[in-house]
Amino acid sequence: MPTRLLILEDDDRIRAALRLALTDEGYDVRALASAEDALAVVGTEPIDLMLVDLMLGGMDGFTFIRTVRPTTDAPIIVLSARADTHDIVAALEAGADDYVTKPYEVKEVTARLRALRRRSERIAPSGDKERLVLDREHGPLLFDAGAGQVVRGTEPVPVTVTEFRLLTELASPPGRVRSRQSLLESVWDRGFFGDDRIVDVHVRRLRTKIEVEPSAPRLIVTVRGLGYRLDPQ
Amino acid sequence: MIDRRPGRTGGTRRGLGLRSTVALSFAGGAFLLSAVLSLGTYLVAQGYLVSQRELGATGAAFVDASYVREGLLRGDRPVSDVLGELSLPADSTLFVELDDEWYSTSLSLDSEVVPTEIAKLVDDGSAGVGWTSVDGVPSVVVGLPLPALGGGSFYELTETAELDRTLRTIAVVLFGFAALTALGGAGLGSRAARRALTPLDSIAGTAARIAGGDLETRLDRTHDPDLITIVGSFNSMVDALHERIERDARFNADVSHELRSPLTTLTTSVQILQRRRDELTPVSREALDLAVAELKRFRSVLEDLLELGRLDAGVELRESAQVDAHELVRQALTASGRSTDLLAPTSDDGRKLTVEVDKQQLNRALVNLFENADLHGGGLVGVRVGSTDESVIIDVDDHGPGVPKVDRKRMFERFVRGGSRRSLPGAGLGLSLVAETARSHGGGVTCTDAPAGGARFTLWLPLVDPEFSRRSP
Repeated sequence: MPTRLLILEDDDRIRAALRLALTDEGYDVRALASAEDALAVVGTEPIDLMLVDLMLGGMDGFTFIRTVRPTTDAPIIVLSARADTHDIVAALEAGADDYVTKPYEVKEVTARLRALRRRSERIAPSGDKERLVLDREHGPLLFDAGAGQVVRGTEPVPVTVTEFRLLTELASPPGRVRSRQSLLESVWDRGFFGDDRIVDVHVRRLRTKIEVEPSAPRLIVTVRGLGYRLDPQ
Repeated sequence: MIDRRPGRTGGTRRGLGLRSTVALSFAGGAFLLSAVLSLGTYLVAQGYLVSQRELGATGAAFVDASYVREGLLRGDRPVSDVLGELSLPADSTLFVELDDEWYSTSLSLDSEVVPTEIAKLVDDGSAGVGWTSVDGVPSVVVGLPLPALGGGSFYELTETAELDRTLRTIAVVLFGFAALTALGGAGLGSRAARRALTPLDSIAGTAARIAGGDLETRLDRTHDPDLITIVGSFNSMVDALHERIERDARFNADVSHELRSPLTTLTTSVQILQRRRDELTPVSREALDLAVAELKRFRSVLEDLLELGRLDAGVELRESAQVDAHELVRQALTASGRSTDLLAPTSDDGRKLTVEVDKQQLNRALVNLFENADLHGGGLVGVRVGSTDESVIIDVDDHGPGVPKVDRKRMFERFVRGGSRRSLPGAGLGLSLVAETARSHGGGVTCTDAPAGGARFTLWLPLVDPEFSRRSP
């Protein structure tokens, strides 16, 4: 079954060209110009991946991402102007998984899409029954690689596909320091020139979901100058 | 930007500075004034003290003379006895002339010390007062006739060493006072000049900061009526300059943004065609290849423009990370599809050369240097990473004819291309982006001759010590 891709872009020509190019690459594309329409589609149709432009008439891209994030864990890639560097961080904080800057090339977009899609398939239940108790005192908080979810007590914690992948990397094995560079490579398929802030924002997002006190993290700790480490409690 | 160095205030460099001139004038004026006053004071004091001394001596002489006269009239006693009965102060000496015979209370002094003009006055029957010098000590001489004794004269000589000392003390005090006043004047002048020059100093400092790129700097508002005009003009000049630079930057940014969307559409569409290249006729294929190549160039120029716009807007480094310079160069070579064999093996015995940079900006700068070597320098020959105590140095050598000395600074300005290479592609933005990226990272770029012929572009960046400045992740 082809991957269902939603494109939210209000520039008619860019949208048309993207739709053509990505359909040509084999994606099942839904291309929309307004965030309101896109919200309706996400509510009714299964969507695997999203490409979202930030500057839209009506509801903007940030609001769209914030609104849609709690309802789906599908990866969201932001189409951004490189100059708007604060926008990129804001979009990541709103819940986006990665970004591409304009003017982009199709192969950049498909590379990002492939990376995120591949990972989102990886968390589908498999034979791997690896389970890890992250926090015995509070919950307990359980990282269940086999089921592809994080559970506190009996309640699943709503982590996105990418957040789960990040946790998986940090958990293999737990207690080992991972540099941002290596996380960027293994979770996002980004090379040397990748943006460390993607890692930082995702760690921040993950902390708000699994830490008891996100401002004083004990599970995912920052190792000054080196990176991050998962310390099960 | 034109190299305008602050601080060259012509004229004051040769000869004395304004401050010294004012200080010297104040000192000279103060000294002249106090010297005239002191001299006047001295003369008045001297006149008063001398006349007081003369009056005192005259009074004493009358008393002594009448005593001598009485003594001589009372009996037929020898003159020396009468003189001996007088109790005189130690610095006074009496001379009596009677019947052409001189008598004196001193053994060492004789009548020669009496000035002749006083002796003449006394001979004519009147009293006389005058000055003489006894062994260098000024002395006052009072002469009186003694008519009651039938002709004869009386002289009293008083040494006035203490008067001389007093006058000398006054002179010293007054001269000292004049000198102090001159010094005070110099200090006051210097202060006044400094006070007057402070606004100029602050203007020079502000101008230097503005030239250094801090366009938000303004002179503080003032209520000093003498300064309002200059401060106002200066600030409005900077405002105008700032506005102009901002307008240029905004225009640059607006144009780039406007071009971004159509370029995205074009690139995306052309890439669809490229994917379906096999379906095209040979002619269409050739046309497509041209379009692809030109789009690539267009995109590269636009990205340079966007990057320059960001640097112009003074946005802080987007994302600064500490990386090893060797790794940075290796990755830039790989990312631009070049062989890492071009990177010369290090002679730094594997020492990590850490720089703190925005990786993407530096990548763009390095790739621009590589492309410049390929397009204008007959091909990239090699890249070498070295270091000094404080900097990391990246040499990029090419194989071309080198760059004439006159072009070596100019070529880092925007849209400048070497005259001999006009027909070659490259909009001339690349090197200016390299220069501005280096500058925004606290480094720089220069062009020299490569040892093996060709040009060498040297990019240097501040070396950071990761042990001391490790940033928090």
